[in-house]
Amino acid sequence: MAARKSLSFGLALLCSACAVAIGPPPPRASQLAGTGDPRFRASQDLVLEGLEADGRGQTERARSRFERALQVDSSNPWAYLALARHHLDAGRAGRARQHAERAAVLFESLDPPTPGALVHCDGLRGAALALEGRDAEARPLLDAAARSAPAIWGDAHLSPDELR
Amino acid sequence: MLGWLALLLAFGAGFATTGWVMTLDRQVRARFEGVQFRVPSRVFSAPAILYPGLDHEAFGLRETLDRLGYRAARSAEELPPGQFFWKGSRVRLHLRAFPHPTRPEPARQVELRLAGRVIKDILERPSGRRAGAVLIEPEALGAYYGPLREQRELVGLQDLPPHLIDAVLAVEDQRFHTHPGIDLRRIVGAMLANLRAGRVEQGGSTLTQQLVKNFFLTPERTLRRKLREAVMALLVEARYEKTRILEAYLNEIYLGQRGSTAVHGVGEAARLYFGKSASRLSVAESGLLAAIIQSPNGISPYRDAERAVARRNLVLELMLEQGRLEPEDFEKARLEPLRLASVTPDPGDARYFLDLLHRQLTETYPADQLTEAGLRIYSTLDARLQRIAARALREGLEAIEKRRPEAVDEDPKRRLQGCLVAVRPQTGELLALVGGRDYRVSQFDRCSQARRQTGSVFKPIVYLAALEPVRGDPTITLASRLVDEPLEIDTPDGPWRPKNFDGEFHGEVNVREAIERSLNVATVNLALEVGVPRVVAMARRLGIRSRLPAVPSLALGTAELAPLELARAYATLASGGVRPDVQTVEDVVDSTGAVLERRELGFERVLDAGTAYLATSLLEGVAERGTAAGVRAGKLRGPVAAKTGTTDDERDLWFVGFTPELVAVVWVGYDEPRSVGVASSVGALPIWRRFAEEATGGRVRGAFPRPPNLERADIDPQSGALALRGCPERRTEYFLPGTLPTTVCPDGTGPGGGFDRVHRRFLRWLRENL
Repeated sequence: MAARKSLSFGLALLCSACAVAIGPPPPRASQLAGTGDPRFRASQDLVLEGLEADGRGQTERARSRFERALQVDSSNPWAYLALARHHLDAGRAGRARQHAERAAVLFESLDPPTPGALVHCDGLRGAALALEGRDAEARPLLDAAARSAPAIWGDAHLSPDELR
Repeated sequence: MLGWLALLLAFGAGFATTGWVMTLDRQVRARFEGVQFRVPSRVFSAPAILYPGLDHEAFGLRETLDRLGYRAARSAEELPPGQFFWKGSRVRLHLRAFPHPTRPEPARQVELRLAGRVIKDILERPSGRRAGAVLIEPEALGAYYGPLREQRELVGLQDLPPHLIDAVLAVEDQRFHTHPGIDLRRIVGAMLANLRAGRVEQGGSTLTQQLVKNFFLTPERTLRRKLREAVMALLVEARYEKTRILEAYLNEIYLGQRGSTAVHGVGEAARLYFGKSASRLSVAESGLLAAIIQSPNGISPYRDAERAVARRNLVLELMLEQGRLEPEDFEKARLEPLRLASVTPDPGDARYFLDLLHRQLTETYPADQLTEAGLRIYSTLDARLQRIAARALREGLEAIEKRRPEAVDEDPKRRLQGCLVAVRPQTGELLALVGGRDYRVSQFDRCSQARRQTGSVFKPIVYLAALEPVRGDPTITLASRLVDEPLEIDTPDGPWRPKNFDGEFHGEVNVREAIERSLNVATVNLALEVGVPRVVAMARRLGIRSRLPAVPSLALGTAELAPLELARAYATLASGGVRPDVQTVEDVVDSTGAVLERRELGFERVLDAGTAYLATSLLEGVAERGTAAGVRAGKLRGPVAAKTGTTDDERDLWFVGFTPELVAVVWVGYDEPRSVGVASSVGALPIWRRFAEEATGGRVRGAFPRPPNLERADIDPQSGALALRGCPERRTEYFLPGTLPTTVCPDGTGPGGGFDRVHRRFLRWLRENL
């Protein structure tokens, strides 16, 4: 019985990894700049400004920009993703996980969808779980993200520039 | 003997005088070396954001600039911060810097290119680079005053333009830098002038004496008081540098009124009169501030501009005479027209929000810190939505009274009341809160402090509990049928027989019909099937903290809740099952610039996204076809979900409506409950509609988040079966995975429906062909 469970779990992991691996590479926030309606465009510009500030180490300014991005478009998944990344860097794993999950739900309900964006959500959730010491839950998510985007998630970390 | 007595008396007098002077000295030191000024904490709105595509008319760009004290310039050349030049479809705007310790914004010049009502482009100046979004500094909403209601912005001498100091000294104390605290020449001069006039026309007080009077003494005109003033002035001068005295004076001096609050100091006065920082006052503006020191209300430029300008010019002449101003600067300043900032509006209906915030802040900060420590509190309030909410509520209540004159109560304290609270569901930010009809009459906040029976706006919680699968299948799906037939429930108070609003029973109804028509009996039946404890548990998960009696009538909204609680509960639906923490503060900064508190956006998934979507879909139906269909009576288009609620005898009218980005709750009723005389759809709904139409510009964007794993199927609304070809009626519904109906229409019976269909076709063929 235990062997069968392990086998099923292994297969499920493999399948999920394959599903991610064969998907498109994760997009960058800048690829979406200038798309969508005016509010999404303005919101995405603020996300990009925030990522730029985060990259320069201006963390408070970055966070404020992400929050302003949500003020303009509270359904912009990129703002949650950027906040998740930001919180993770600051060691706030719980908040990072919440924001990454939020981003995932919004990405999933986008019409048209943004292929590959979920890789970042999974990677960030995995990294947050790892920071919380929940390695068993973190590992499959991080492995899947690394397989799908080895150049970005190979080190199990997402930098502001990689997201931008 | 007499000599000894005289000596003793002289010694005694000297001893008493020394003691008196020492007492005064202690007072002087205590004031100067302790906390010199009590500065009220200020509350600001969230900053407004401009971006290409924004409808600047709906946004109220011009009004926003006016409220922030931006002034219209006569030309686009040399546009200083705080001014704009608007010509046709171009607006050149020099945004002021926003001095925040961790997220400062520099002053920046931009050009807005307009196309009709819309901002087409925003260009940075002078680079011409396109800007995606531009932040305007937050609006001041109000402040927390101590009993004196003094408002001041502290300034340092080093931050002030020299011409402001010169203007003040020229008119108030030209020998300030040379006298020891009292100016005998000035006293003699004033006495002679007053004797000649036969009345008190001039004062002989130095600037130090004025400061002493304001700091320590009462305005009474007695010799004893004048003597104390003179001695204290000498003590102040003996102990402290001139610069320190001057700085204290410039921060202390009374310079006018803003509503019921007294404006003290040149920093605050520069904001009041010119909408700018004191460091940026022109010579003429400095002259005006110095001019009004003598009688801030009598010479107020808002009251008598001509008199104020005449007095200003007198100050400028004194500056010229005393060599404090060059002739060409004098000429330029004398000709400068008076350009005042718009009078900063009273916080008005935002006061309910300020009170809510105060109650929250006093859990962390001592009350006197809020009134004296000069904190800067940046809130989440959207100043524009707040104004829209206040107007919608006011006009809506007036409309009810116009429709039903008997609802009018002449006693202002017994008038029809209402409240409106709006929240951004994804982040929980409180955007607008109007807790009553008129803050001046009643400060009771009906959005956060009142608990009233909710009526049918509670029903969606019952449906949520029923839609959520617990250990297996959910109690209902969107294809289910509910029973709406006479029902009797035993209670400790005797049998309870719930009735519908129309007094009828409707037999078996589908789920949508039950909620769209807000059927009471069907809902009570459903609550009994789900179990009342589960309904209570669902309400708790949605963030409701008020007492919830676990009785069947709970399903019909007999629990008393606050509108703000309902806003949070519905926000959870709007955001796909994620319950947000309600946020009122972005951050709190102390007078030294240290951030004392920084908000954390927080949320928790309390509901499966699919269940949240199904319940939202039901409420979209209520807004399309049901009791809330009136939301579409105006120009509102796009995704809207809503629920009406009217309690017994029409005592409480509720309306909760939400879009993917905005949740708003409206309550209407009397503080001492009595019938309003109209239903929610007539009383509360129009208020929500006014608010939502203006807030969204009539076009709601986005969509409620629908998880991809939901299954979609056509059903027969009459039976709840899957609708196949030939089924007379069909409607598309979504289902949680694995919960599709197991019967089919027409005449299908369960998973074997496919076979039955073939069988039916075969029988029909036999009938037709044999």
